[in-house]
Amino acid sequence: MTTDFGLLIRALALARVDFILVGGLAAAVHGAARATYDVDVVYARNQDNLARLITALAPLRPYLRGAPPGLPFGWDADTLSHGLNFTLTTTGGDIDLLGEITGGGLYEHLIGGTVSVTAFGVECRCLALDQLITVKRAAGRPKDLEALAELEAIAEERRDH
Amino acid sequence: MARGDSRFDIDISLAPDPVIEAYKRDVDRTLIRENLKLTPEQRILKLQAFVNALDQLRGSARPR
Repeated sequence: MTTDFGLLIRALALARVDFILVGGLAAAVHGAARATYDVDVVYARNQDNLARLITALAPLRPYLRGAPPGLPFGWDADTLSHGLNFTLTTTGGDIDLLGEITGGGLYEHLIGGTVSVTAFGVECRCLALDQLITVKRAAGRPKDLEALAELEAIAEERRDH
Repeated sequence: MARGDSRFDIDISLAPDPVIEAYKRDVDRTLIRENLKLTPEQRILKLQAFVNALDQLRGSARPR
């Protein structure tokens, strides 16, 4: 299943979900050339937003990525309120719903460090380049080193040209 | 939104990390410069095209 980035972003934005693009797709928005195969978002955990999130993704039949079929996974407020981070597969591809990210915290902590992005006919928030770098540095994961190098190179290119 | 958009202005004040600096030497800046000429939506569409092409390649792979 190839992830349809536009479909997932539109689904969230049109349902007025409070979310922030982070991870590889946010890096691509800022100019990174590294490939990513899913959509990572940090979402607000309040009850109204959980309801919008459920409405947004329900038509795409979200299910736990990598889990065997047939598990009693309900896409509802109860499920979302009892979890935090969900790695899901949908008919529109893979999406990670993150209630909190290492080095960055919750939606409310991150929203001030975002930029507005207009794409696919909708507007959404994306973690700003400097925040993306700060968060990845704070997370301190070895797997992020190559991505961090590219993000910092982008920052230099934007500054120098 | 493209280059020069104030909303995308950056202020990186973190001290250089020697490990990241070492990785940075291998970054292909020509790709970055090309991407920075695009709008954010165009960048996502370019990524989408790559992912779609890779998926097609995987689908067509057969054992020899």
